[in-house]
Amino acid sequence: MSGSTLGWTTESRGGARIVAPAGRVDEATATEFTERLREAAAAGGGTLVLDLAGIAYMSSRGLRALTLAQRKGSEAGTTIVLARPNPTMREILAISRYDMVFKVAETIEDALA
Amino acid sequence: MLVRFWGTRGSLPVAAKANAVRNKIAAALVAASGRTFADEGAAREFLESELDFAAAHTYGGATSCVEVDVGQGPFIVCDMGSGLRELGLDSLRRCTQEGHAREWHFFLSHLHWDHIMGFPFFVPAFVPGSKIVIHSGHADAEEALRRQQEEISFPVPFDYLRAEIEFRTLEPGREYEIGAVTVSLIEQHHSHSSYGFRFRDAAGKVAIYSTDSEHKIDRMEGEADVVAFFADADLVVCDTMYSLADSVSMKEDWGHSSNIVAVDLCHEARARRLALFHHEPTYSDADIARMHHETIRYEELTRGAVALEVLCAYDGLCVEV
Ligand SMILES: [Zn+2]
Ligand SMILES: [Zn+2]
Repeated sequence: MSGSTLGWTTESRGGARIVAPAGRVDEATATEFTERLREAAAAGGGTLVLDLAGIAYMSSRGLRALTLAQRKGSEAGTTIVLARPNPTMREILAISRYDMVFKVAETIEDALA
Repeated sequence: MLVRFWGTRGSLPVAAKANAVRNKIAAALVAASGRTFADEGAAREFLESELDFAAAHTYGGATSCVEVDVGQGPFIVCDMGSGLRELGLDSLRRCTQEGHAREWHFFLSHLHWDHIMGFPFFVPAFVPGSKIVIHSGHADAEEALRRQQEEISFPVPFDYLRAEIEFRTLEPGREYEIGAVTVSLIEQHHSHSSYGFRFRDAAGKVAIYSTDSEHKIDRMEGEADVVAFFADADLVVCDTMYSLADSVSMKEDWGHSSNIVAVDLCHEARARRLALFHHEPTYSDADIARMHHETIRYEELTRGAVALEVLCAYDGLCVEV
């Protein structure tokens, strides 16, 4: 679980921003994930879709980064929506109860709706 | 090394009520589905083998008290929650029946009520010839214990206790040889601070007691210290009172941790076993069992090279380390 880096792509669609990290969010990549996500949340406002399709899994470091980004986002008027979690991520969101504090959408379209 | 759990509940003692017991018996009878049992032993065998833990047992409701038994030297006891009353009686039985020395060494995580409330009911403290040493990272441990026995709170004053009682303040970052164990401590984030303890026995087995410890969301870099403290432990007893979402939102700054963070810290530290501990007092047995199953699942989903066994502490559990 070390030595890995995260992929990161950003796109705009329908007035919203979509960020798509790729890889595993664990101790090795959590700092990078946190910084990039906080930056994205602080810039702009409106809806920020975090496309989880490329995320294999996320430890508590990644989940807590979501909360830090959400705090940053609420100052800037940004709402973070999680989209397309794989079955592992869906389970982790349920076990951590993060599915009760974030909107989780099956598709990007649902996230933008 | 044996680790015995005398109290595992957080914040406030609780007890299973009449309807909880009735509902468990009713469900067990339905599960037995008309079977007959020759005697109670056969019925117990059925409960053990065919029903899950929460259906046939209870996690108990005494507050924090955990014994580390290394087979020699004085009794080693973490915290003085309401579970201490029973430990007091059982340890006196061991003194009488097994010739154990009448010496108790306590290690206090902190001085909140749920972690000291058992001491006024600790019978060995009333017995002349008992020796009690109370170790704490807090310099005000004596004040806390004396205060809870002032007349306004309790009928028997601290000075009435007949045991020889000594207080020792320990410092983080040092190693202490106490009885038959080597002990070190770490300061944790909690109201008025708390301390985690690391115990190593002569055989090199390591048990960690880390309760009432919040891992702050804006200080994740500081967790390297905790990981180093837990390193290669054979058993980590960890505060897992809240869900992660609760611990970073509504219950932020309430001073507690989650099952998810506990697994991550143990994974990073390459610990072998985790015992979920300091259970939320509003949780039913079914709620705690669900949390246990979910934690096992999270561990599987995020496991690296080394598997971590996830136990769920209950009053009466004894773990061989
Ligand atoms: Zn407590
Ligand atoms: Zn406390």
